[in-house]
Amino acid sequence: MAGLSETKGPVRRKKLKTNTGAGYAFLAPALLFYSIFFVYPVVFSLIVSTKRWNMLVPLSRARSVGFSHYSYLLSDQVFLGVLRNTLIYALATVSLTIVIALILAVLINNAKLSVLWRFIYFAPVVTPQVAIGTIWGYLYRPNNGLFNSILRLFGMKPVYWLTDPNVALFSIIITAVWAGIGGSMLIITAGLKNIPQDYYDAAKIDGAGPFRQFFYITVPLLSPTLLFLTATGFIGAWQVFDLPFTMGRNAPARSVMTVSWYVYETAFQSLRMGRASAGAFLLFCVIFGFTLLILWLFRRGGIKGYE
Amino acid sequence: MNRKKAIRILLEIIRYVIIVFGAFWMILPFFWLFSASLMTPEELISDVPKWLPEKPQWNNYVQVLKRIPLLMYYKNSFIVAGSVTLLVLATSSMAGFAFAKLRFFGRKVLFSFVLSTMMFPVFIFLIPVYYLMKLFGWLDNYLSLIVPFAVSGYGIFLMRQFILTIPDELLDCARLDGAKELKIYTTIILPLIKPALATLAILTFIGQWNSFLWPLIVTSTAQRLMTLPVGISRLSLAFSTVETQHLILTALVYQVIPMVVVFLYLQRYYIRGFVLSGFGNL
Amino acid sequence: MKRSLVLLAVVLCVLLSFSGFGKTKLIFAVHWSDYQVEGVKDENGNVVVKGLKQYIEEYQKLNPNVEIEIQSVPFDEYLKRILISHTSGVIADIYVLYSLWGVQLVDSGILDEVPKDVVSKVKSDFVKAAVDGATIDKAIWGVPVEVANYALVYNKKLLQEAGFNEPPKTWDELVAMAPKLTKRNPDGTVAQYGFAFLSGWDSAVVHPYLALLYSNGGKPFKDDFTECLLTSKEAIEALEAELKLFKNGATDPAASVWNFPTGKVAMMIMAPWYETALKLGFKDEYEATVGVAPIPYLKKPATVGYTWFIAVDSASKNKKAAWDFIRWMTLQDAGGFTRMGELMAKNIGSIPPNKKDIAFFKEELNDLYTSAFVKELENTYQEPNIAQGQEIKTILMREIIEAWNGRKTAEQALNDAKKQIDKILEEFYK
Repeated sequence: MAGLSETKGPVRRKKLKTNTGAGYAFLAPALLFYSIFFVYPVVFSLIVSTKRWNMLVPLSRARSVGFSHYSYLLSDQVFLGVLRNTLIYALATVSLTIVIALILAVLINNAKLSVLWRFIYFAPVVTPQVAIGTIWGYLYRPNNGLFNSILRLFGMKPVYWLTDPNVALFSIIITAVWAGIGGSMLIITAGLKNIPQDYYDAAKIDGAGPFRQFFYITVPLLSPTLLFLTATGFIGAWQVFDLPFTMGRNAPARSVMTVSWYVYETAFQSLRMGRASAGAFLLFCVIFGFTLLILWLFRRGGIKGYE
Repeated sequence: MNRKKAIRILLEIIRYVIIVFGAFWMILPFFWLFSASLMTPEELISDVPKWLPEKPQWNNYVQVLKRIPLLMYYKNSFIVAGSVTLLVLATSSMAGFAFAKLRFFGRKVLFSFVLSTMMFPVFIFLIPVYYLMKLFGWLDNYLSLIVPFAVSGYGIFLMRQFILTIPDELLDCARLDGAKELKIYTTIILPLIKPALATLAILTFIGQWNSFLWPLIVTSTAQRLMTLPVGISRLSLAFSTVETQHLILTALVYQVIPMVVVFLYLQRYYIRGFVLSGFGNL
Repeated sequence: MKRSLVLLAVVLCVLLSFSGFGKTKLIFAVHWSDYQVEGVKDENGNVVVKGLKQYIEEYQKLNPNVEIEIQSVPFDEYLKRILISHTSGVIADIYVLYSLWGVQLVDSGILDEVPKDVVSKVKSDFVKAAVDGATIDKAIWGVPVEVANYALVYNKKLLQEAGFNEPPKTWDELVAMAPKLTKRNPDGTVAQYGFAFLSGWDSAVVHPYLALLYSNGGKPFKDDFTECLLTSKEAIEALEAELKLFKNGATDPAASVWNFPTGKVAMMIMAPWYETALKLGFKDEYEATVGVAPIPYLKKPATVGYTWFIAVDSASKNKKAAWDFIRWMTLQDAGGFTRMGELMAKNIGSIPPNKKDIAFFKEELNDLYTSAFVKELENTYQEPNIAQGQEIKTILMREIIEAWNGRKTAEQALNDAKKQIDKILEEFYK
């Protein structure tokens, strides 16, 4: 079980020998890439974030404004509002997606026709946005949409799913979870395939039912995978753009506007690249802090996926 | 004993009910896309949503072929998505191996750095990376569509997590036998992480296949490099899309099919997950 | 495989650049779709209606030393693409531009000064709304190619069913008629809307409001753009006029103009580009169903319009050749009409801003739909070309939607809009 010690309390393995040469040799392609395609753009944007630049005049002629974009955003109700929306969106989608995907992946794993089910659950990932938007538009229609028809059956009042500012974010979260389950299931399935069948056999001999097997074998042994899904899920969700942007255009008061949408609009509609870049860096700080928090929580739970 | 058996059967039934119920919701838009691709424009704007065309318009598929150079778009998309996928698999598994199984100075810092590369909105990269493409003189060839996506922080993280689950003893045995790290990577690591590689391949390929904004900006000055989503977007008119909506949906079916094929092809790697028996006797 | 492909691409590029040697190359950026660029073709691929490409081929035959490349990008991504490539010095020689973007482009020195003869032609030959659209800081910066405005589109049959033989002339009439055209389901949801507002993007929400504002004798800004006038009595009344339709139940924020072709909306304010969709929706019933009239007015007839114009990049190396082509395409007489006018009227189906073309393409422009918009050109106010136009319009859109949803009164919404807009005006006009 040594290899799985990453997930199981005190580490029982020997310390690896330091091999700096080999380490950097394997990292060389990635590091070379990042030094060009990541470091340069980020430094460039950091400089832009201290300027007032409309992207039309040369950057050298743009006026420097120091860090005033940052102080503007941090005291701007609009920016704080989109941060709040994004936080709600991220917390809800990531937790719901992972829980549902985990349950379904386990249910499907050894089911009959598992290839077919896996494909069907993955279908939203390959289905183009237009089709997804159209169908969910049908479902959310206020008049003869499916959801409101169901509510009507129970004698409830119709809900304005996408135009009521108190409901729109919730509606978009439902769609996002629906769209995200397939990708997470795929990764969980790959993780399930890594769990030796022996454990389950042994558990069965001990008389453990399916629920105990799930909580005492599957979940702990999947924790590197779950850590990965949680961390990348939050990193992605904090930057969400497409779904709110396409579904939430008629929701009032920026009630579903996210930080990326704000950055996009500020940059390419208001032509304020400086302020947009500052927004991007503030978002980075939030995501970075949030990710550290997640890793800390996992570590406290005894999982050392990250050290 | 009988009661236990009944419970087990009941659980199985619940299990399949859940699976089928979920599957219905998941496949709905996918099914509608195919159905809608056979509809007339009039059927698409009807007030009551239509789930099946009255008379399938197979001609839509012919019309799309006549309207846009689909084969050229396919070729470009395959070259770009295929190359990026291969590059990402190679760079991610190498870096993932280093982070999971090798000790070296600066490991933690570098890994945090890799994670942080995922934390910036894509919009701030457009201008500087476009400038780099111009600088390198790549704007008129495939490199501008491929190289900026050759390394993925997501891929590195995913590979690291999976390689972590491989027992160190396995590698140490090989090292005692005098194997170099490169040999360990190619002969032990890669074969053992096939399910993870397949997952990453599917996700990367699909991400690239559907990628829109960057290819649009780059290929606007080199139209012969246009990828499928960019080409399809040219079918739409500003504001009112009714006239061409049926053709766009049909074109999207052309876009979806290769992804389905890739997914089903790579599925088979899931069946052969590696078996730890023999190492798991602690 | 990949390397050989790259090699192949490089060889191709070299060959291409040699074959074009000695020619003047012009790059022409547009936001048009495939139909408009390649032409409308029949089932066998023959051109039925000419597209931009066919005109350019004609021009290249006449001028063998000029080569023109069309770079088309869909509208949603068009400005973004121009901005991104421009920062790296990758430019087009000729652009088709939305009037509202003009201010920033001009202020940043991106556009080339228009030759004198072109300026005087634009002033004499084009309708006023379009000339205003191409005018920034009192100078003309390009040749208008497309002008659009708004009118009331109504469903004749639904009106007749409710006993109305004529569309409303004044806004008060409209407010009185709309509830009678509204039908409800037993549960209280609306089955048929008396009126629906355009929504979904900034112009859709803001343009009809501006039409009412002008109709009420107001305007959104001081003429020198130093102050926003949206808290004036006229401006508040104009928004309250819209809100009356929400209060009397004739519309709600979920109403969608896109349901008009299904017969579930009786009246809406629409632009010329919606014609084809209506024809598709009503088929044989189209002529008997669709009616177009001026927007019902508050104090005087008025509507609002916007313009696309064609301009040259100041960094272009071939400015003279670019203007020569623009003259040929948009100004020169091709037999009683201009080529751009023909493209607009026949292919794209929008209103050409050249007076000569409007007179010449009677048949295309005089159908029941477009003719009403053409007639309204005389009452059309061009939306103001103001710095940060897009940002300002987005602010106003959000506040109007707040009022539609009953979250703010008209006065509160416009007060909040003014506060934000004045801050921007202060930044750019003081």
